[in-house]
This record gives sequence, structure tokens and C-alpha cells, in this order.
Amino acid sequence: MNDIITTACKFVTSSIGRKIIVALTGSCLLLFLVGHLAGNLTIFGGDVAEGGTSWINHYATGLHSMPAWLLWSIRLGLLAVALVHIVLTLVLKYENYNARTHYRKENTLKATLSSRTMVITGIMILCFAVFHLWQLTFNGDPHDCYNHIIAAFQDPMCSLFYIVAICCLFMHVRHGLQSVLQTFGLATRKVRPLYNIVAYLFGIAVCGGFIAIPVCVMLGILK
Amino acid sequence: MANLNLTLKVWRQESAEAQGRIETYKAKNIPDEASFLEMLDIVNEELVHEGKEPIHFDHDCREGICGMCSLTINGVPHGGKKVTTCQLHMRQFKDGDTIWIEPFRAAAFPLLRDLVVDRTALDSIIAAGGFVDVRTGAAPNANNMPVRKKTADAAFDAAACIGCGACVASCKNSAAMLFTSAKAAHLNLLPQGHPEKNKRVLAMVRQMDALGFGNCTNLYECEAACPKGISVDNIAKLNRDYMLACASEAFGVFS
Repeated sequence: MNDIITTACKFVTSSIGRKIIVALTGSCLLLFLVGHLAGNLTIFGGDVAEGGTSWINHYATGLHSMPAWLLWSIRLGLLAVALVHIVLTLVLKYENYNARTHYRKENTLKATLSSRTMVITGIMILCFAVFHLWQLTFNGDPHDCYNHIIAAFQDPMCSLFYIVAICCLFMHVRHGLQSVLQTFGLATRKVRPLYNIVAYLFGIAVCGGFIAIPVCVMLGILK
Repeated sequence: MANLNLTLKVWRQESAEAQGRIETYKAKNIPDEASFLEMLDIVNEELVHEGKEPIHFDHDCREGICGMCSLTINGVPHGGKKVTTCQLHMRQFKDGDTIWIEPFRAAAFPLLRDLVVDRTALDSIIAAGGFVDVRTGAAPNANNMPVRKKTADAAFDAAACIGCGACVASCKNSAAMLFTSAKAAHLNLLPQGHPEKNKRVLAMVRQMDALGFGNCTNLYECEAACPKGISVDNIAKLNRDYMLACASEAFGVFS
């Protein structure tokens, strides 16, 4: 038992150990994105479907009518995962900042913009998530979810904010997904280019799906 | 044979404690077949003639195998041409170019003077586990100890690391993961190094962390800057091996 605790302590304070935890929590958040997108896309079912309620209202009321313990354990679980992800990355970033002494002439050979701005895009996503929860989760009646969303996105500033935030999410997810595979030790020279393509496609699919909603509202496709 | 006239922006710092600064020098009439270090030799000779302190820089073999030379040229360790500074030739530059020359910068590489930094930290990672405890004897007959061709190649590629520290200097986080992973991989892959694999991985990673290197964020700058083309595959392998070694230490599995 002692061995387990000692090793666990060393693991969660080591560079690789913490990176693995960040990768694990990141993967959970990636999975959440997929689930969240699937739910969101029900808005394309239209305002009124057969039976009187639209798909998204049905979905929203379904979420809210889950047993309280289940709903709140999912919410708190996600919050815990996000907190671990954020706190650990900030600690790692702080250490990285201290490990460096800066060049007068900075240059970059290969590192992508998205890989160098993970903290910035991450903080943008965090700010967005707080606003998004306030606007659409804790305000508004789930029975009238459809109209609430349409009304929100008819404000061009709100739509623009969502689109910018989701572009940040794309950058974060693109580097994040292939980074997760490298950190888990699953990358080799042969598959790394494939992972990059998969990360791009995943980012485009997920973020494209999210962006489609404000864009369709602005274009008047969703009314 | 064209001769080059260059402007050099060189980091000068009298001692570890002194305040450093960029100074500008003219490098006149540099033959383009000169190596980068020979160019500095020419500049230094002129400085000595003028009674000034020459620019201090590290060098040894000048054949690209010892890993002693260590300049960051225009913001890239060794100039980013997949060779060491001593093998970088002035034909890579154009007449009239301005070249920024700075030391390998990282908190774990304390600066000693001008362009000379102390890279002992890399040695202490090796001292923590980058060796085989028992005598492995003389080179055995190649067929005595079967090693898969693929494995032998991977070990050889990792062993090509000359420990110059360009990976740390190029890393936006000053992480030593490429160095540590290459040194661990080249022993871990081979039968002589395999029995101590877990012990080695844990010791080297913990030593690396203790020395104040940063944490890898998978930017792959190190691979691009490495004069020996060490692959970041080694980093993925070290991550994997570290997980297994922790499992082994905690639960006794995978040992």
C-alpha cells in the first residue's frame, strides 16, 4: 500500500504524470464535446415536430428531468474534470515560464500557432463556457429552448462571440487531440501525420457543427 | 569564391552575475567556405588585434560529433540546418546579412560567459540512470545476441544524440524530454539495457524534473532543431515507458 501511495504522489508531481492527467481530462472534455454537439444538432429538427414539441425542447426537458443526483453528479464531474485540466495546465505553464530565459531574437521552426497559444485559447474557452452556461443553461425555460436559442443568436454580437470562441476551441482541440495521442505514447513517425489529419477532421466536424447553429440563425435558415 | 560582409549581433556577458547585452560587430571579408566557428575565429582575431576581449564560445571537435558547440543563430540552436554550428558553413548566408548570435538559453543551463553555458544538467540526467550497471563485455559477435533489425535501428537512431542541448534551447518550455527520451530509449531497446528499464526510466525522469527543466507541450521544435535528427517518437516511448514503470513500482506489474 505504501508503494502505491509513494508512486502515486511522485506520479502526480512529475512532468510526465501531470501531462498524462491533463491528457486524460482533455480526452474526457473531447468526449463531452461530441455528446454536446449531438444534442445541439437536434435544433435542426425545427421548431415544431410531430407531437407538438420540437426535438431540442424535448432534449432540453429530458436533460432537466433527469434525477437530480444524476444531473448534478454529471455536472460536478465535468466541473471537476475541467478544473483539474485547467489548474494542472496553469501550473505546468508557470513552471515552463520559469524554466526559460528568453531570446532577444525569437524564432520558431515548426511549432504551430495553435500549439503555442493553448493557454490563451484555453482561457478564451473558459470565459466562453461561463457565459454560455449563464446564458443558455441557467437562464431560460427548457420547454422553450428552441426560441430562447434563436432569440439569443439573432443578436449579431452574441453570434459573433460564439463564432470567435468556437474558432478558439478549434485551435485548442486540433493541437489537443494529437497531443493527447503523443502524451499517451501512442504516436510514432508512421502514424503522427495521420493523427494530425484526424485532429483536423475532428476539429472541423465538431466546431463546424457548433458554428453552424449561430450561422444558420444569422442567415435566417433557422427561425 | 565570394567573400561575405556581415553584421553580427552577439550576446556579451562578462560573467554569470553580470548584466548581458547585445553588441554589434562587423565581420568583414568572410570566405563562404568558412564554418560558422571559423567566421567567429576571424572576428575574434580582429578583436584581439584591436586589444579587445574576444567573444567566448564553446567548441571542441569541429566535426559535428562531440556536441560541444552551442550557438543559437537567428533564434534557432545551431542555425536550424540539421547540422551542428561547427558544420554550418557561411555559404548558408548572404552578403550583408545580419546574424543574431546568442547562447543556448534555459534556466537549467546557467550562462558562464558570453556564449558559453553550463550544460552539466544533461550529464546529471545520464548519471541518474543513463547507463547499464553490469559490465556488458566487449562487442559480441553480431549473431550472439539476437536483436530485431527494426529495434536495433531505433536504438541506433536514438544513440545518435550527441547531448548538445539544442532540444532544450529550442524548446519554448526549455524541456529536456528529447534528450532524456533518446538516452533512455537507446538503452531500453537493447537486451543489455532491458533488465534495468523501469529503474532507469523513473530515475532519469525524476532527475530531469528535479533539475528545473520545463514540461513538454508537444511543439516538436526539438526535433526540428536537432542536428542529429532525433525523433519525437522517443518522447512518446518515454511517456509510455514512464507509465509502465510507475505501474511496476506501485503494483509490481510489467516488471
